[in-house]
Amino acid sequence: MNALVWRLHRNQAYVAGAALVALGVLLLITGIIMARDYHAFLASCAAARSCGQAGQLFAGDGAITTLVDATMAVPLLFGLFWGAPLLAREFEDGTHDLAWTQGVTRIRWLNHTILWPLLAAAGWGAALAALVSWWRGPQNAAGAPVRLATFTFDIQGIVPVAYTVFAVALGIAAGALLRRVLPAMAATFTVFTGLRFLIAEYARPHYLAPVSRSLPPFIGNAAPHGALVLSNATLGPDGRNYTAGLGFQQVPPACRGYGPQASGQQNSCLATHGFHTHILYQPASRFWAFQGIETGLFLVLAAALIAVAYRMILTRDA
Amino acid sequence: MSAPNAPAINTAGLGKRYGPAWALRDCSVSVPRGHVSALVGSNGAGKTTLLKILAGLSAPSTGTASVLGRVPGQTGEFLGSIGYLAQDVPLYKRLSANDHLGLGAHLNHRWDPGAARARLTALRIPADRPVSTLSGGQRAQVGLSLALAKRPQVLLLDEPVAALDPLARREFLASLTEAAADGDLSVIVSSHLLHDLERVCDHLILLAASRTQLCGDIDDILAAHRVLVGPRRDIDDAGRGLTVIKATQASRQTRLLVRLDGPVLDPSWAVTEVGLEDIVLAYMGEGGTLAAGPLTAIGPVR
Repeated sequence: MNALVWRLHRNQAYVAGAALVALGVLLLITGIIMARDYHAFLASCAAARSCGQAGQLFAGDGAITTLVDATMAVPLLFGLFWGAPLLAREFEDGTHDLAWTQGVTRIRWLNHTILWPLLAAAGWGAALAALVSWWRGPQNAAGAPVRLATFTFDIQGIVPVAYTVFAVALGIAAGALLRRVLPAMAATFTVFTGLRFLIAEYARPHYLAPVSRSLPPFIGNAAPHGALVLSNATLGPDGRNYTAGLGFQQVPPACRGYGPQASGQQNSCLATHGFHTHILYQPASRFWAFQGIETGLFLVLAAALIAVAYRMILTRDA
Repeated sequence: MSAPNAPAINTAGLGKRYGPAWALRDCSVSVPRGHVSALVGSNGAGKTTLLKILAGLSAPSTGTASVLGRVPGQTGEFLGSIGYLAQDVPLYKRLSANDHLGLGAHLNHRWDPGAARARLTALRIPADRPVSTLSGGQRAQVGLSLALAKRPQVLLLDEPVAALDPLARREFLASLTEAAADGDLSVIVSSHLLHDLERVCDHLILLAASRTQLCGDIDDILAAHRVLVGPRRDIDDAGRGLTVIKATQASRQTRLLVRLDGPVLDPSWAVTEVGLEDIVLAYMGEGGTLAAGPLTAIGPVR
């Protein structure tokens, strides 16, 4: 039974394995160089009091950074090329008729057919995430880019495992539902990208209530280092947004008359008149909490999709 | 539970509906064990639907079906007792015949690849090449070998020879006859061409217009049908007291294909025997009028 699954899907496994090894070699080499640069920088910056610029250290590594960012698409590839054809190919070729009239029951066949690809996908996702997390280590330590931001959050830690499992589960369910390879792939692509975008954009920033702080007006970016800033605005006593600046008429009369050299004093004056910077952010320390929440969310969705696939296979006619 | 004396297959009022359309309707047949049964009918008569229900691949909308006394379903006992070869012989394209035999060993508790290997060797079918490189006839043989390697008690074959050239067809049917000859195997084999099956089958199930029309031993069916030819007369009159399957009027004479319920008494009829193909075509309503209502079964002539 397991040998059957391996025989049918070994080519995909080989391709995925080869891609992972190639990426691994590339990241290993560049990662070691990055770590060396970072440690060299740390050794010298303390003396030069320039450690705050660590974030710019890796700004020049464009191509490799793009490649690493592109690993965000890997779970989708698993969904498209492992998940979607897994059952859809059987239906398209009619081989489900062959498999379902052998001596084992449909549920046992399905258990084995989907379990191994799901586990393998999880393993691949974990290997990739570990590799990227390690590679990103120096950048994470330098605090740039922000670890909670899209493209950074999505490719390290534990979420890639959940994305990969979810993508494969989605492909399996789409294949069980649509029974054709190309439509199943199209559905997997649409649902996966759509849902990932919606969750990253609208749900993730609010997994935990953001930290809200009130600061003097026109203070610029005052969020702690590495935080994901949700909003950063100078508000007036009337609650309106004055981030772009105040017109002369909008400045309270008491605070007029400061020259451009005295903007600090003018801001202090504005603060006493109810102007303040309102900032909402998710602190960098919540990285693992957010990883846990998002992982849980996608694993629950994956479980629901697997349940759909079971229902389709066990209750619908061949 | 399998009753030792249960028929190979038995259906009662079996029907399958896809949306508003019936793919199979009012199908009541009973096939005793040990027969090679031809399942014939026009395209769309429900042959595939009936076989899929019997193989446990689809659930009936109405009525009941049983195979060896067991309701087709997801039990190892039922699945182990049937062999099924779907239309167009689906196989895993990239796998070889040997791979398929290995795969069957994983998917079945009872598995006997010996005979299958021997058959493939005898037919000089390369067992180590991907099946996608084999000819249609060779693939059909691989499919049959796989179905037989399960050592099934009931073998269900859906149009296995439809796509084969005449030589491959003959070879396939020879393999089938050989397999059916040894042991307690019941076979249901469907085709829209009766001609293919007449030589290997001793039993007939005829589906027409999605309803069973005829089911019985071929010898009994032949014995129970006659063509009556006589002077032209009104068909309603002529058919009185007879079960008319098909009536044809020529300018001078009336020709009736009838099912006998007793001896033909009217001496003005010339009574002749009739071939199976003509009987089947008459039931399928080819040309002429189908005078008889749906018949569900025919037993031995008493």
